[in-house]
Formats: sequence, structure tokens, C-alpha cells
Amino acid sequence: MHFSEDDLREALKRKDPGEGFINQVMARVNQSASENEPALTKPEKKTNGSFMAWWMHRPAWAMAVAAVLLLAFGIGGYQYSEYRHREDIRIAHENQQRLEEAERARDQAIMALEIARAKMNHVLQHAQLQAEPNEKIRRQRL
Amino acid sequence: MNLATRKLTQILIAALLCFSALRGHGQDAKLQLANLDKLSEKAARVTDVTLDGSLLQFAVNLIEKVDAEDKDVEQLKSIIKNLKGIYVKSFEFDAASQYSKGDIDAIRSQLTSPRWTKIVQSIEKRRNEYNEIYVLKNGDKVGGVVILVAEARELTVVNLVGEVPMDKVASLERHLAPGEKHSDKPKQKKESGHDQE
Repeated sequence: MHFSEDDLREALKRKDPGEGFINQVMARVNQSASENEPALTKPEKKTNGSFMAWWMHRPAWAMAVAAVLLLAFGIGGYQYSEYRHREDIRIAHENQQRLEEAERARDQAIMALEIARAKMNHVLQHAQLQAEPNEKIRRQRL
Repeated sequence: MNLATRKLTQILIAALLCFSALRGHGQDAKLQLANLDKLSEKAARVTDVTLDGSLLQFAVNLIEKVDAEDKDVEQLKSIIKNLKGIYVKSFEFDAASQYSKGDIDAIRSQLTSPRWTKIVQSIEKRRNEYNEIYVLKNGDKVGGVVILVAEARELTVVNLVGEVPMDKVASLERHLAPGEKHSDKPKQKKESGHDQE
């Protein structure tokens, strides 16, 4: 295809855009500005909204988390009190066992000393009687 | 081996010998009575008491807690506080000659060491009675006592380890049990302590 210089000059010469061009351009500018507005405000919200604000806007979530936390603390506290109770019972049981053991040991010690006393006196008595010169008395006592 | 090393070795050997001697010193008042356990099957009544270490300490602590107003309890405390072990084996038989001479000899053979002294012996051959009291001397003090009562239908060995005040043991009152002083239960108590029948 061949273009002459005149064709090109004709094609590139200034043209009048018409009367409504400026209005159209301004209208498009306003339109794009209004489309970009939410995108501009979003980060603003993020920076301004604190942690608390997030929860304030979601009361259901806040209630749910609070309920879960309460439940967790409640169960934990109950478990701990149960554990303490079990521990107390175990310690009391151990103390009771130790006391019973000590009482048994005491009774055994007393019984053993009672046997020791009885046997010691028995042996001493027999030895004394054997030393008795009078055979008749000795036999009588035995 | 230089002089310093030789000296050190000698000191170590001396310390080891002292340690083993001290160990033996504390232990030899305790007799081995396990050979008598077999008599339990034949005996009509068995009393077996083994109290030492923490168990004896428990008993001592409990007895020491009792109010010391009573003379007997006070005496009991003074006896038990220095004891390291109380071992009693007593067998009563329905028939005579249920134990052998070997059973008694096994006990006597442990009392042959020069530290043991036989202080009392009473023999009644017609009745087949052999009663003996042995004492282990630790210097001026008594480190242990063995009372051996071998009669036709009874064999009793009492072994007290530790500082034993003989006079106090012999003069103990019958009603010793701290909680049962005003009752006539000591005999019952003694029988209830008999482990096997």
C-alpha cells in the first residue's frame, strides 16, 4: 500500500473533538475517582481499627471466644481442684498408713520387750533356783 | 612407687580396715535366725518380731510421743531409745522334741566370738531345758543381748541390738502397752502378735 505525503498530512492534521469532549473527559475522571475511593479507604480502616475494634464489630465471635475461654478455665479449675482433692486424699491415706505401720511397730516393740523381760526373768529365776543348795526346795520350786 | 604414694596407699588401707571394722562392730550383735523359720510349720504358736531401721524408729517416735507421766512408759522410752534392732523368734510346740540340737547349735555358733559373754546359764537336763543369756560388750556398755530359752516344748531366741539396759528390761512392768494401760489386755496383745498358728 502506498501513501502519499498529502494523504499523511490529511490524516494527521488537527481536528476539532467536538463540543462535549471536555465534559466527557471530566465525567470519566470523576467516575474513575469514585471507583478508586473504596480501595483507598480500606487500608485507612485497617490502620485505624484496633484489635478491640475488630471484636466490637464481631460480637458473635467475641461471645464465642469468651465462652470457650470461660469453659476452658472452668474445666481447668475443676480438674485442678479434683487433682488437689485426690492429692489430699492420697497424702491423708499415706499418713494413715504410716501411722498404722508405726502403731504396729510400737505394739511389736512392746511385745518383744515384754517377751525379753519374761524370758530374762525366767532364765534368771531358773539359774537362781539351780544355785539353791537345798535340793528339796529347788525341786519344789521347779 | 615413690614415698608419698606408698604413704597414701597405707593411709587408704588403714581407713578401709577401720571402716570395715566399724561396720562389723555395729552388725555383729545381730544374729542370723533364718534357720529357725522351718520350725514354724511344726509349732503350735509362733512369735516372730523383726524390728530395725525405719520401722523401729517409727515405734520409738510413737512411744516418745506418749505422755511421760507414767513410770512404765518412761522406762520403756529409756530402753527403746538406744536400741538398733529387736528380733524375737519364739516357737511353742504341742509335743516335745520338735526342734533339733543343730537348731540351737546354729545360734550358739554365732555367739562364740570373744566379744560375746555368756552371763547366765541354766541347764536342767532331766527336763531338757537349756536357758542362756549372752551379752555383747562394747567397752563398758552392752552392745547387744541374746536370750536363748530352749525347753522341751518351747524354743525362744530374743536378740536385742544396741545399748541394752539389762536391769531396766528385767524390771519392766507387765502392762506396757501405752494405750492399754488400764485394761487387762497385755496377754491378749501378746497372743494377737503371734503371726502364725
